Amino acid sequence: MQNILLFSILGLASGAIIATIAIGVVLSWRGSGTINIAAGAVVMVAGYIFWCLRTGYFAPALMMVPAVLLTLVLMALLAVVVEVVAVKPLRTASPLARLVASIGVLLLFQAAVQLVFGTAPVDSPAVLSAEVVEVVGVTVPIAHFILAGVVVVLALALSMLYRFTRFGLATRAASENERSAILAGLSPDSLSLANSVIAYVVAGLVGVLAASVVGVSASTLPLLIVPALAAALLANFTSFGIACAAGLAIGIGESLLFYASTQSWFPTQDGFALPGMQQVAEFFLIVIALWWRGSSLPQRGETAGRSLPPVPRQERLVRRAAPVVLACAVALVVLPSDFRQAVTTGLVATVLCLSFVVIMGYVGQLSVVQLALAGLGAFTVSRLGTEFGIGFPLGPIIAIALATVLGVAIGAAALRVRGITLVVVTLAAAIAIEQFVFANARWGGGQTGAPVESPTLFGVNLGADASFPGLNGTLPSPLFGLLALVGTVVLYAFVANLRRGDLGRRMLAVRSNERAAAAVGVNVRAVKIVAFGIASALAGTAGVMYAYNYSTVSAGSYGIAIALTLVASVYVLGVTLVQGAVLAGFGAIGAVVPLILQKWVLPQDQISIWVQLIIGVGLLVQLKLFPDGLLVGMELKKERRAEHKAQSEPSVVSPRVEEGVPA
Amino acid sequence: MTQALELRGLSAGYHGSTVVRDLDLRVGRGEVVTLLGPNGAGKTTTLCAISGVIKTHGGSVTLGGEDISSVSPTRRARRGIAHVPEDRGLFFGLTVAEHLKLGRRGEHLDAELAYKYFPALAAITNRRAGVMSGGEQQMLALGRALARQPGLLLLDELSLGLAPVIVERLLPVIRQFADETGCGVLLVEQHVQLALGIADRAYLMGHGEGSTSYDASELLNDTRLIEASYLGGDDLDLESLATDHNQKIYERETQ
Repeated sequence: MQNILLFSILGLASGAIIATIAIGVVLSWRGSGTINIAAGAVVMVAGYIFWCLRTGYFAPALMMVPAVLLTLVLMALLAVVVEVVAVKPLRTASPLARLVASIGVLLLFQAAVQLVFGTAPVDSPAVLSAEVVEVVGVTVPIAHFILAGVVVVLALALSMLYRFTRFGLATRAASENERSAILAGLSPDSLSLANSVIAYVVAGLVGVLAASVVGVSASTLPLLIVPALAAALLANFTSFGIACAAGLAIGIGESLLFYASTQSWFPTQDGFALPGMQQVAEFFLIVIALWWRGSSLPQRGETAGRSLPPVPRQERLVRRAAPVVLACAVALVVLPSDFRQAVTTGLVATVLCLSFVVIMGYVGQLSVVQLALAGLGAFTVSRLGTEFGIGFPLGPIIAIALATVLGVAIGAAALRVRGITLVVVTLAAAIAIEQFVFANARWGGGQTGAPVESPTLFGVNLGADASFPGLNGTLPSPLFGLLALVGTVVLYAFVANLRRGDLGRRMLAVRSNERAAAAVGVNVRAVKIVAFGIASALAGTAGVMYAYNYSTVSAGSYGIAIALTLVASVYVLGVTLVQGAVLAGFGAIGAVVPLILQKWVLPQDQISIWVQLIIGVGLLVQLKLFPDGLLVGMELKKERRAEHKAQSEPSVVSPRVEEGVPA
Repeated sequence: MTQALELRGLSAGYHGSTVVRDLDLRVGRGEVVTLLGPNGAGKTTTLCAISGVIKTHGGSVTLGGEDISSVSPTRRARRGIAHVPEDRGLFFGLTVAEHLKLGRRGEHLDAELAYKYFPALAAITNRRAGVMSGGEQQMLALGRALARQPGLLLLDELSLGLAPVIVERLLPVIRQFADETGCGVLLVEQHVQLALGIADRAYLMGHGEGSTSYDASELLNDTRLIEASYLGGDDLDLESLATDHNQKIYERETQ
């Protein structure tokens, strides 16, 4: 009993941080209508800024009070910079573009911090007193209570601010209907900026106070966005009080779950408590929150009615794809081995990106779980081969089926939410799969990685170590690369053709207006489920190809940072076009573009962090130029030009001009 | 006398395609002007271009003698344009009283003015806009616009979704407000007869082009013009309609 109390109180610290991030999410939603995925990273940045100021990393070390104040000022400035760079230019862009921009901010913050300070957590000097108090016989640090108290006071203050002041009234109005707010003489831009500054300063304050209690880490703090999103969902993205209470409760719950894992009744494996239970619990909490709150999530009225990037017609595919296919085929045979490997990886990543084209581009549902599904496929192939002796082709079939079933199940759990809100569920699912399956030593690779047997058919080795005339066994074999090329081309044609067929039309109908689609007889649920199925099967296929490509599967390749990088790069290049998938695929980790960067441009180590940084920056720059994605924007320009040409000729003899003469 | 609003050669539209072309129009102080025309003529686009919600492609917008063509919509609203759009521009989560408090820093909305013109609102000050009836919502939208004491009131399809009897009650209030405060009113309305009943002058639009201005009471007698304002059609010829109209007035007056 005392232990339960102790762990509840210890959970207050992380609960306070989760509550703060949840409050930040609510503030961003109210201020600019964005689900701010970067809210957790903001707390991390504040922690690092304070650490620098206090320990004298760049300049002479400051005393505590000036360091805290300067941190808050810098956070306010950072809010202004992010607002100007990543929020304001996208006001009239689709909500998807704004969400992707917040992913870009997250990637950028995380990569920048990791490059400057390294990936290991830093020990921040304590701000709160280290004294302990005795509560009903348990000795606990007083800092935990102070931290929770500060967050509760902040939440109450924000509630008052929004209920009783002119600013609060204006923000509530603008968050409901931007256009009406403009007509009322309010400026949504200034309101968004003000809310964003408040969010950053609040996050900064709690980040500084909590730094010494929970530790400052570039890998864990940004991911606290997942439980924070659960809290924000329970608060309907509106109530600061509920967000705060739910955040604290989640923190306490996680602490108690940790306590439970030390008990004898807790499920164990090989003598250790089952990993990832916390992330699985968070996922189910989000699913429950969505079932409960999903239909009542506030929708935001936008100045521009456009919600998603347009889907250009996909024509003359053969003529466009043929040179690329030919180039790949030649490259797979003649280039040195590291480049052959990179081309194959690019092809596999293309298949993965095609799954984003289906689910994000055609159906407009933002899913970040695709990479985790691919990982699931890869690990399944590995385990089936090593433990059950099930090899090619039955193993891959089972693996793809498993990924599909899980993807459909996640999609079904999220049927009540649509569009960008889906990111919340899929993010939680991706992290749950990563921690529960991949990190599990028996099911996943654990820390070491799992071996994969090469596929053989009728005794012929088709894998990456297959023999190929003229190469004398240097890996990887062009044979596997060529097979991957054939598979990629088939799936590419399938996805491109989907856009032109009947199912594709129904997907686009669901995407633009679910109610209208249902009204004309489209079964919205069925279309979504089928789309999740197709996307998950593509992801599973990519996973199987990854596994055979590298002959080993490690959990590190399927982490959430890589998943977010991939989602962001697909969107920025053109998520509604199959060509966008190809570009993003060849820019993915391990593929051709990063290899070139690694070889000749960037330092050899930490290549994935560098790629993350580059994609984060490139994303924010590109979104300003073509908020719908690079290829989509260019394609639309082309279409518009063609239309203008077609219009300009007959307009010379338009009826109005003819009539004008006799009058 | 300076005009409340003057448009010169205004062109506007969406995504690069022009909907309104070369429109000239003016609204005097205390004057109610109605903009008539078939669907797709560009009436709503004109109002949006005046309040700045959409960008103009050319021409100038002058408010009370000041050129506001390059002023942001937020600042235009602050300079005294009150635009009640087709969707009424309300915030469903806010109460009546909150709507009448909502303004920029230092701006004081005259809630009493709203309650004076629409006494029914005073009884429901704590009701959220989202749960109010269509008529109540329209009253709130108008009351809010009046409470801002605008120099120019733009009204888009007040009657949308409302029973004619309610429209008959709303429109005279607009007339009264214009007379009492000197606010200029530009009115887009499907109920042409009702609109002409309270208006001073009218413009007829077709295919994004505007006509010369007509006297409202004269226009009421010209069935052909009223028909054209409803139906339009490809053969709508604003110039010949105007010639015929003037011909008719001339004939009647010379008799």
